[in-house]
Amino acid sequence: MNETRLQWILKALAALVLPAFCLLPFGWMLLVCFSRQPDFLLPQVDFAPTLQNLVDVLTDPSLHLMAYLRNSLLVSAVSAAAATFFAGLSAYSVTRLRFPGRILIPLGVLAFSMFPQISIVGYLFKLMASLDWINHHAALILPYTTLGLPLALWIMISHFAQIPVDLDKAALVDGASRLQILFRIIFPLAAPGALSTVLLVFIYSFNEFLFALMLTTDYTARTIPVGIAMFEGLHGQLPWGHVMAIAVVAILPVLLIAAVFQRRIIQGLVQGAVKG
Amino acid sequence: MAAPDQPPEKNEEARSAWLFNLPLVLLTAAFILIPVGGTLVTSLFRDVTYLPDAFVGLQNYLRLAADLHFWQSMRFTLLFVAVSVTLELIFGLVFALLLNEAMPGRGLLRVIVLVPWIIPIAVSARIWELIYNYEFGLFNFLLQHLDLTQQPVNWLGSSAGAFAAIVISDVWKTTPFMTIILLAGFSTIPQDLYRQAMVDGTHFLQRFIHVTLPLIRPVIVVALLFRTIDAVRIFDLIYVLTGGGPGGATTSLSLYSFQYYVSGDFGYGSCISLIVFLIAGLLAVSYIRLGKFSEVLR
Amino acid sequence: MQKAACGAMGLMASFLVVIVLFAALPGCTGDAPRLTFWVGGAPQEVDYWEQLVVGFEKDTGIDVEIIRQPAATEQRKQGLVIALESGRPDPDVFLMDIIWISQFVQSDWLAPLDSCFGENSLHPRQFFPSVVDRVDRRNNRYYALPAFLDVGLLYYRGDLLQRHGFTGPPATWDALVEQALIVQAAERRENPGFNGFVWQGAQYEGLVCTFLEFIATHGGGISIDGTVNVSLPANEKALQFMQDLVRRHRVSPANTYTEMKEEEVRRGFQRGNALFERNWLYAWSLHQRPGSAVRGSIGLAPLPHLPGAETAATLGGWHLGISKTSDVKDQAWKLVEFLLSHDTQKKLLMKLGWYSCRRDVYQDPEVQSQVANIETLQQIVNHAVSRPDLPYYDHISRILQRYVNDCLAGKHSPREAITAMQQEIDRIEEIYGSP
Repeated sequence: MNETRLQWILKALAALVLPAFCLLPFGWMLLVCFSRQPDFLLPQVDFAPTLQNLVDVLTDPSLHLMAYLRNSLLVSAVSAAAATFFAGLSAYSVTRLRFPGRILIPLGVLAFSMFPQISIVGYLFKLMASLDWINHHAALILPYTTLGLPLALWIMISHFAQIPVDLDKAALVDGASRLQILFRIIFPLAAPGALSTVLLVFIYSFNEFLFALMLTTDYTARTIPVGIAMFEGLHGQLPWGHVMAIAVVAILPVLLIAAVFQRRIIQGLVQGAVKG
Repeated sequence: MAAPDQPPEKNEEARSAWLFNLPLVLLTAAFILIPVGGTLVTSLFRDVTYLPDAFVGLQNYLRLAADLHFWQSMRFTLLFVAVSVTLELIFGLVFALLLNEAMPGRGLLRVIVLVPWIIPIAVSARIWELIYNYEFGLFNFLLQHLDLTQQPVNWLGSSAGAFAAIVISDVWKTTPFMTIILLAGFSTIPQDLYRQAMVDGTHFLQRFIHVTLPLIRPVIVVALLFRTIDAVRIFDLIYVLTGGGPGGATTSLSLYSFQYYVSGDFGYGSCISLIVFLIAGLLAVSYIRLGKFSEVLR
Repeated sequence: MQKAACGAMGLMASFLVVIVLFAALPGCTGDAPRLTFWVGGAPQEVDYWEQLVVGFEKDTGIDVEIIRQPAATEQRKQGLVIALESGRPDPDVFLMDIIWISQFVQSDWLAPLDSCFGENSLHPRQFFPSVVDRVDRRNNRYYALPAFLDVGLLYYRGDLLQRHGFTGPPATWDALVEQALIVQAAERRENPGFNGFVWQGAQYEGLVCTFLEFIATHGGGISIDGTVNVSLPANEKALQFMQDLVRRHRVSPANTYTEMKEEEVRRGFQRGNALFERNWLYAWSLHQRPGSAVRGSIGLAPLPHLPGAETAATLGGWHLGISKTSDVKDQAWKLVEFLLSHDTQKKLLMKLGWYSCRRDVYQDPEVQSQVANIETLQQIVNHAVSRPDLPYYDHISRILQRYVNDCLAGKHSPREAITAMQQEIDRIEEIYGSP
């Protein structure tokens, strides 16, 4: 078999198999979401399209879906912004300043990123309980920010490292402070990296489950992943139509982000991992 | 403290640096180091909600050694990690190879590949829960219509079925991550090497094994490192999809620890969670040794 | 350069403060006092609670927020443990499975209710003493009150028994086996999936309930007097009998110890595929529903026993409690009063088939005419047995579940199982049993 033939086959495979593999569950999710009966695969049940499932989950007060969505978006956005900002500060110092422990910061942070969350969450619960922060947004924002720091730091470091130090030197000579340099010169130049970081930490925080499960108790601070995990149904026997409707609502924000920013996200992932 | 004869610039730099790092250091100390330290200390106590705390030293660990459920969780977790990560690597390589080909719509394909990874595990777990449904799930429907089985498969109700279900769902979710990393690795290989090999008349597979693989080995090691450690800590998928069942057959170590926490037993739960910590640590060290990380670091 | 450092510090400090403040602000409605009532169960059940609560809101003008919990008992407990241990003001009122109460009381999560009792309001003596005194009263104070009752009992197919010439349900285990064998052989000619006796044997909490009934009706039991003791010869005999049901007499199906839980057992019996069923009270109204294959042909009775021993029924059910850290205790009590009032308890019984623990409900003429089995029920309740009432009960339950299930599966002999059980329970007691 010659090379071009092989290549053609590979491309055909890619075009067919990849999307099928990745999207099959979503196709199924959409079908069930918009179907009146979730068990329509049974021979005796028909498929009838309907919007009712979506309407139900969006409007039912006991489900608190909007509250979950609000909490998720809020917590993720704040954590992403904070992690990017703090990581930027550290990345600046690591790439531009000489100080004892300079190599320790990125290495240490990398090591900490491998800590299993389960060995953090138990004692963290006690900490949060003693601060009376259980079921407050703070209980999630602060840990998420912290957990996002490793990835954020490594991405920012790889971007900052590419910006020539001469720029700093010139600005310093002109009398600018370090902080001014960071904000007026470095951050703007590393904006793509900062964007990647914000996106990745946002996605990570949005999807996080264990901390949200243990540190929140009801819809005032609970996030969507826990909400959908706990959902048992609104009325009637088979809740799957509603579960899939919630799933659709739950993934819309991240999907939108993925669609618009896919390149940034991939770059961020690659830098975080490959450079690391 | 800086030496007295260091130039004032250095002092100032060091001080600035510490200020710049203060948030990161504070956050990390408060929300990672202290909790882990606290967990370590707690594991040496009998810490339950209905009794006064008592220092018990290594008693929790001794009890763990004799705990059959713990060993069951350990076996499951390690088996899951081995099977899952292997499959993800294989699929990831295949997909990366496919995506490496220049073709129209490659951008769209890359977005599609990203989607499983980007959504919350809890959400995808519920979708899979429905796919595995015994009566009207997609898999049983397909299997029976394609005449592959007589009886519907009891995915979530049998230990073998539940294990397969979890592996499939996890591979589906994380193969994209592997694919993207490996794809990036491929892109670092200079094209000349390929052309040279083609001129030499080597077969595609030989090229792959002798040229491509060695060059992306560091990338593979890093990707494996991250994925393995992630797999060891697995929690979300199992909690939502099987709840650890049936009968504890799919209870990962993290879930086992969690079950103790939420029954009010922090002492024993901490103990189990530290074992997860140890395993992750051991794996990290082995990978680093294996991948000769120090070279890559420079 | 000093300016720069100060500037940096100032900026960072203010940023951190802003983040923390913003995050720490009560999440919108977070801290405003509200009366929350945590309820779990099937969606229709929670719907019904919501309807009831609307009535309460109309009567008293107090707003109640129902927070729905998942249906699975374990998840409900997990949610409550996290919330109560964190000391938050919510939940205020919640339902507890009877086996949690010991841990909840010892963990100091429940508010004592004694100061709320009054001559004209809710009082413990309005309830079955065998329940409230055994379960809700500790150290001479009351920490909970029963919302509804559940006991294990025997369902039987009256029509089949009659057809084969038996006069009534069996009073002894031997009689049960005899009847089951005869009817099973006859029925299997046309219905090969028919079983003589279905009961919960899978490895889960329900198995402990079944186990407790078997050992109690064999003259054994689990004593917690000083130390937890399960190694009695009578218990061994009972465990042997359980094993025999599946492996020797074969009147119980092979999947008894792999799959059979409440719903599996109920469905099997309800489709007409069993002669005897051990299940809880809740199954009665479901069996009698239109569309059920066994409607009108069943009866319920106390579980059989060994001659010389007495019948027994594991005590189940859910109780209402008020959180110690509740910020609206007075309103919480009003809600509890309402939920346990004669009217509400009667509604729960008539509408959902949930049997009340209030004695006066059973004296209501409407109840007496429409609700079946009241006398039998009273008889059964008088023989109720409790699972070990200890805060570390869940550890004991796990041990019991495992060994009983292994024994049913044939992996251990009853003696081995009981001995091993006792050893592990002793170890658990060393850890959790002493202060």
